[in-house]
Formats: sequence, structure tokens, C-alpha cells
Amino acid sequence: MRARKVKGLAPEMPLDEALQRIAETRLKEVRSFEHAVHDPDAVEDLHDMRIAAKRLRYVLEMSEPVLGAKARHGAKQAKKLQELLGEIHDCDEHLPLVERHLARLRGEDATAVAATAARTAADLEPAAAREAPHRRHYAGLEALAAYLRARRDVLYRRFVREWARLEKADFAASLNGEVT
Amino acid sequence: MASARTVPGFADSASFREAATRVVAVRTEEVFEHTEHVLDTSDIERVHDMRVATRRLRAALEIFAICFPKAQHRKVLKEVKRLADALGERRDPDVAIEAFARVRDTLPAGDRDGIKHLIEHLRVRQAGANETLGEALERVQREGLHERLLALTAEVQPA
Repeated sequence: MRARKVKGLAPEMPLDEALQRIAETRLKEVRSFEHAVHDPDAVEDLHDMRIAAKRLRYVLEMSEPVLGAKARHGAKQAKKLQELLGEIHDCDEHLPLVERHLARLRGEDATAVAATAARTAADLEPAAAREAPHRRHYAGLEALAAYLRARRDVLYRRFVREWARLEKADFAASLNGEVT
Repeated sequence: MASARTVPGFADSASFREAATRVVAVRTEEVFEHTEHVLDTSDIERVHDMRVATRRLRAALEIFAICFPKAQHRKVLKEVKRLADALGERRDPDVAIEAFARVRDTLPAGDRDGIKHLIEHLRVRQAGANETLGEALERVQREGLHERLLALTAEVQPA
């Protein structure tokens, strides 16, 4: 996701003014994904929101010596948001990875089991199932997939609560450290 | 994960441009301090630390973009992004292996084989990503990215 252009920046402008403008733009960028907060399936938008939160965090961390303790506070809030969205993103990446692996194993097993029968066989003996090379692999992988799905739900609910907390505490003040 | 280093004199910078040179110089050094042993897959924190340092450098280059000569800036930013991508490709299987192993270790012994098998697959991917990262690091060294980043900051040093 490309960062929004910061308007009115100039190399010779005072540092505090420049940092304030950048922080304001980065905060707007985070808030522009507000529509995704209550949509658990908005995987791409939540991922982009994480990137926006990361950008806000970096500019606030950098700004602390100039903008003071409020920037530090805002950076902490942005970091918290970024990390939580990062954990959700990991689940969104890992679950398909496990499911693709399961699908590959099922395919390999079906091929191996089918190979036990002659090309002209009328049916397949139930005992052929024993020839599935991955038959002992499924239990753990299914448990892992269930865990990832459940963890994603837990983390997402926590994210919604965290967002509500930020809004209640005056979002701009919390995330931007009241630098605006 | 190491915190970003304090940039000496940052708050006293007379202008945005002056701050740019200071920040980019410090963030550059942070990246290149992490190159040693980064290909050692037995300690995945090394890649993580270098990746974080690279992201901070990239963020600084983007924040201060208008302070640098356009062509040189675009070129080094592209190369920093490429390095970050190679680090990310290595980091992804590291994270998955670690997360899956944590679940595996809680399961009864008879249920662990599937996750072990998946982790073996991920180790192959990790090894491939490590080779790609090795090539990316060689390229960075061959093309003098470190020196060019420092030269970029020297070019816009205030008189």
C-alpha cells in the first residue's frame, strides 16, 4: 500500500511543523480503514490498516524528541494496534498455508490408494485406505487449522474492543498523542 | 528486538532537511550492523532485527523523500525495498515454523506427525529463502548500497 502524499512539506521548513503534518496525514490514513473494523472478512483492508498504523508509529517514535511525551504515548498506541493487526494477519496467512498442505496430502493419499487397484478394477477394497502414506498426519493438522481459526476470532474480537477503546478515549488524541 | 537508536542532535535540527541527513545516516548504520550471521537459521532473531532496521530505514527514506536528490533517492529506496523483501521472504517461514511448533508441542505425541511434516516442508522453503537473501546481501555489498546511502546524506548536509 502506497503512503498518502503529505501536503505542504518543504525541506527548509521547521522540523516540528513538518513532523506534525506527517503525523496528521498518517493518522488520517489509519482512520481511512475504519470501515473495515467491523468486517471480520476484510482481510486486505485490515492488512493495509496494519501498514498504516506502522507508518504512524514510526513517525511518532521519530518525533518524540521534538513533539515530546505525547508523541511517545501516540507511538505506543499505534504500536499496540499494529502488533494486534499483525497477529491477525499471521493467522490469515497461516490458515490457508495449513489448508493447502492438507489438500496436497489428500491428493497424494488418493493417488497412492488408487494405485493399489488394477486399472480395470470394478471397485476398491476398504483395506486400500491403509496405503495412504499421510493417514497419521491429519489429526495434528486439523487441530492446527482449528486452533488458527479460533485464535483469529479471539484476536479479531480483541481488536474491535481495542478500537472502541481508542474511539472512546478520543481516537485522535490517543493515536496522535495530541500533537495536532 | 532492538529499539531504534536515538539520533544525536535530531531535536536541534534547524530544518526538516537537516534532520533528514541525521536520521537516514543513523538508520543506515543500524541496518548494516545486522548483516553478520543473518543467514544463520538457528537464530531467527537476527533476520528479524535486520528486517526491522530495514523497515525503519525505509520509513525514514519515505518520510524525508523531498530532502534528497530525486534520482539517487529513488534508486536507493528501490534497493532498500528489495533487501526488505528478501528479508521478509526469509522471515515468513521462520514465523510460521515457530508458531506451528508451539501448537505441536502441546499435542499428544501421536498427533504431532502432521505438524512435523508441515514444518519439514517449511524448512525447505526457509532454505530457499535463505539462499535468496544471501544473493540479495551479496548484491547490496557489490553495488555499495551502504556507501551510497551515506553519500546521499552527505550530499544534502547543510553548509
